[in-house]
Amino acid sequence: MKASAGTVLPFPCASRSAGRRALRKELLRALRASGSPVIVDFSDCGTLNHEDIDLMLKCAAQVAGRDTQLLFVSGSRATRVLLDVTRVSSLVPVFNSVTEALAYPQTGAASDAEDFLASQGQEP
Amino acid sequence: MHTSTVLSYEAKSGDMPLVAQAAKSNSERKEAVELGAVVVVPAKEDFAAMSLAAININRAPSSPAAATEDSRPFYSSRVPILGNDILLSWMDLVRKLGVGSLWLTSSSTDQGVPCSDLAGFARQGLDQLLVIKLKSYAEMDLADLVRFHCESRNPVTEAQDARGQLGVCLLDHLALHAGGEKHEFSCGASESERMPYQFRGYAKRIMSATERQELVGDALTAACAMRPLGTEIREQVWIGEGAKLAASVRVIGPAYIGDRTIVRSGATVGPFASVEHDCVVDCGTTVERSTVLPRTYLAPGLLIRHQLVDGGYVEDLTCGIVADLRPAGLGSRIQRRETRQQAFSEANVFARATSASALGASASDFARSSTTSQPWLQVKL
Repeated sequence: MKASAGTVLPFPCASRSAGRRALRKELLRALRASGSPVIVDFSDCGTLNHEDIDLMLKCAAQVAGRDTQLLFVSGSRATRVLLDVTRVSSLVPVFNSVTEALAYPQTGAASDAEDFLASQGQEP
Repeated sequence: MHTSTVLSYEAKSGDMPLVAQAAKSNSERKEAVELGAVVVVPAKEDFAAMSLAAININRAPSSPAAATEDSRPFYSSRVPILGNDILLSWMDLVRKLGVGSLWLTSSSTDQGVPCSDLAGFARQGLDQLLVIKLKSYAEMDLADLVRFHCESRNPVTEAQDARGQLGVCLLDHLALHAGGEKHEFSCGASESERMPYQFRGYAKRIMSATERQELVGDALTAACAMRPLGTEIREQVWIGEGAKLAASVRVIGPAYIGDRTIVRSGATVGPFASVEHDCVVDCGTTVERSTVLPRTYLAPGLLIRHQLVDGGYVEDLTCGIVADLRPAGLGSRIQRRETRQQAFSEANVFARATSASALGASASDFARSSTTSQPWLQVKL
């Protein structure tokens, strides 16, 4: 799904069997494309296993040092707890819903514009 | 069940003057009061509830039922707090009252003593029965409770604090006899016959993860009477027997590390953290303002903050949500070899309290009989 402030993709968690491989491919491809924020939605994930955590870390590594912004939507409080326990939430901003993620001030072109204006010494 | 019981207390001069005098003023016909005590600890229903909670954890998070069930506690009231067994702390309080022995029984925490059993106590000639449901830690002067009960002349006195009932009630012979005429589980009296005893001292509900953590913090900072069971190696840092800490481990007080617990390189424990006995905290993991319950393994690199971890489950103290650490290999229960098949069995639950002092039956007898409803075990104090 292409949103105005970024691309929203479901997280291909290991518990999901159908289309997981394709979703994973799409997610990694989206992360490689710079400039557009990627919002990864965990709403369909009941629980997370070690493969999921590997993939999360891979996603974070994929965008490290690049313009692409990665945001996670936990979807449930249990998933949020797991993201906190694994310290993933200290690497990637985590939100409770896609709406919150889209409203994140640093998301998308708006933040780039703010940064640009700030660097020019102008009021945003 | 009570045919051979010796559960009684006879007040002698200078031995238990408070109870004796209170009884005198209440009723001139008696010189002595026979006071019995019962401690009700969680039974199999609670352990079944723990399993149910575990099952519900694995449900889809969007399910409303899962959201409700996930908030349930999944530990028992006998799980140690800074190495302390709450049952033993209650037993100490009963001992101070001058009662020579007490009865242990298992029941769901929401239930009390069956009325038929109350009648059994009455038939033995008990004048008063102290019933303690093991769901709270309270620094209660039980003698004051007895005094209040005798002065108020109500069949049942129930201790409560600002947050509600504490699970401690005192029944007189009227309530015990009334109990025999009823068939439902109760304390032997209707709500109107119960006199509240307002307790203003220190109390925490140990089945609530949040209050349990508050108790840990208070005990570590000497804000209550409980003290960690271990050696204070420096200010507000206690280490249990046989605990092994790597050289690079940071322990920030107030903190407690229980017996035989292993804390590996780069890990941080504290402040306001308790890692109970036989745990393993792997490399780089931080445990802060949290409790790790016995025999828990924590994988490397985790951040446990404002949480309670019990084996493969973590409960967030701020929102009460329980998450399963096991599928990701982040946490698990360390099984003891000799009890691999029977973790959480009642035999283990009662073994410590009764190891040297069971009068009427052994702990193993208790374990066998616990498959029937409401097993009993008499313990000398």
